[in-house]
Amino acid sequence: MNMLTVDMVPVVLATGDPARVDEPVPAKFRKGDRVTVIELNGIGHNRLPSYIKGKTGTVTFDHGVFVFPDTSAHGKGPKPQHVYTICFTAKELWGEAGHASDRMYVDAWDDYLQPAS
Amino acid sequence: MKDDNAHKNILIPEVGLRVKALESLLAEKGAIDPASLDLIIETFEKQMGPKNGAKVIAKAWMDPDYKTWLLKDGTAAIKTLGYIGVQGENMVVIENTPSVHNVVVCTLCSCYPWPTLGLPPIWFKSAPYRARVVIEPRAVLKEFGLDVPDDVEVRVWDSTAELRYLVMPMRPAGTEGFTEEQLAALVTRDSMIGTGVALAA
Amino acid sequence: MNGIHDLGGKHGMGPVVVEANEPYFHEEWEGRMLAMMIACFAAGIYNVDRFRHPIEKMDPRHYLLSSYYEKWLCTVEQNCIDAGIVTREEVDARHQQLMKEKLQ
Repeated sequence: MNMLTVDMVPVVLATGDPARVDEPVPAKFRKGDRVTVIELNGIGHNRLPSYIKGKTGTVTFDHGVFVFPDTSAHGKGPKPQHVYTICFTAKELWGEAGHASDRMYVDAWDDYLQPAS
Repeated sequence: MKDDNAHKNILIPEVGLRVKALESLLAEKGAIDPASLDLIIETFEKQMGPKNGAKVIAKAWMDPDYKTWLLKDGTAAIKTLGYIGVQGENMVVIENTPSVHNVVVCTLCSCYPWPTLGLPPIWFKSAPYRARVVIEPRAVLKEFGLDVPDDVEVRVWDSTAELRYLVMPMRPAGTEGFTEEQLAALVTRDSMIGTGVALAA
Repeated sequence: MNGIHDLGGKHGMGPVVVEANEPYFHEEWEGRMLAMMIACFAAGIYNVDRFRHPIEKMDPRHYLLSSYYEKWLCTVEQNCIDAGIVTREEVDARHQQLMKEKLQ
């Protein structure tokens, strides 16, 4: 245990927890790709909200390589991979309840996505 | 559910005292130093708040090159002002325009850019906002007093990963010649979440 | 996990309730809890992902009824127990003692 001391507080607050990983992991997708979110229903930790499961959207940005929460939360290592912002239309997510002009932008890891068929 | 009487004991009794209990035990075992806790609290109360984000936005309004940089690489641009840090390590700035209105949420918990906006308000972390803004954003924005026309696109950003989002509200009319300080005073916290707009000049 | 925390799109949650000019901490213990969370993180007791998961595993009723920082107490306490730094019994005993002292 490395007890946090008063003199280290400013550095810790200024640094935070860089989840970004400096490793040249190849990206599975690129901006513009159509992707479908996988059906992930394990009981472990993940950052995949149910409302996008099985839905298809477009990759709008590749943010680079980050720690993967699903493994990191359970002592299974960082499994670094790309994180993308995926744009979904409201209609795609909510059917008739969605407004025609609205879009939801959700961040997702490589392991949450497959190419849209 | 199994135990019908469980609802009577759901919340932790005297929760503040349990926090004190845990703090005192952790201190005794050398895991934490209470003095460092004091400094953390003081730093949040004095240094982290939406006045920081307002400075970022005001600078972007004044300086087109900074604005371009901010929208392209939020982390680098915000770092030059000193507002990168815990829960704000990776920043993305999204611009409101006459045809696009952005609003930010964390449906899964409460992710929020601390160095630029401080600690999030209770409503941001609570079930109604987290549940509703992704499925009925216009109704939620209306509750905040924003009536978004049908031909304006509403973009809801769900902070599911470690990117933190900051909305750049539109610069109010009649602010030509304003100083950066005067501009910053118009940028509200809610306008940087997307549940509000900048104040009128 | 498909836990209670996974709220996006759920109906029936009611209006967004806003408190004007809300302070960061409504009680002193909330500030202590925020700071303790950061101090324990800095000490390496958990990473952000191990911090989040116990909150997701809370009793759903407790999750919906509890205040924000009460959720943080649950996960920081659980993580410290899992790391072998304290036991539940120790925290219970100290908590009981403080409650007893308050009544005196």
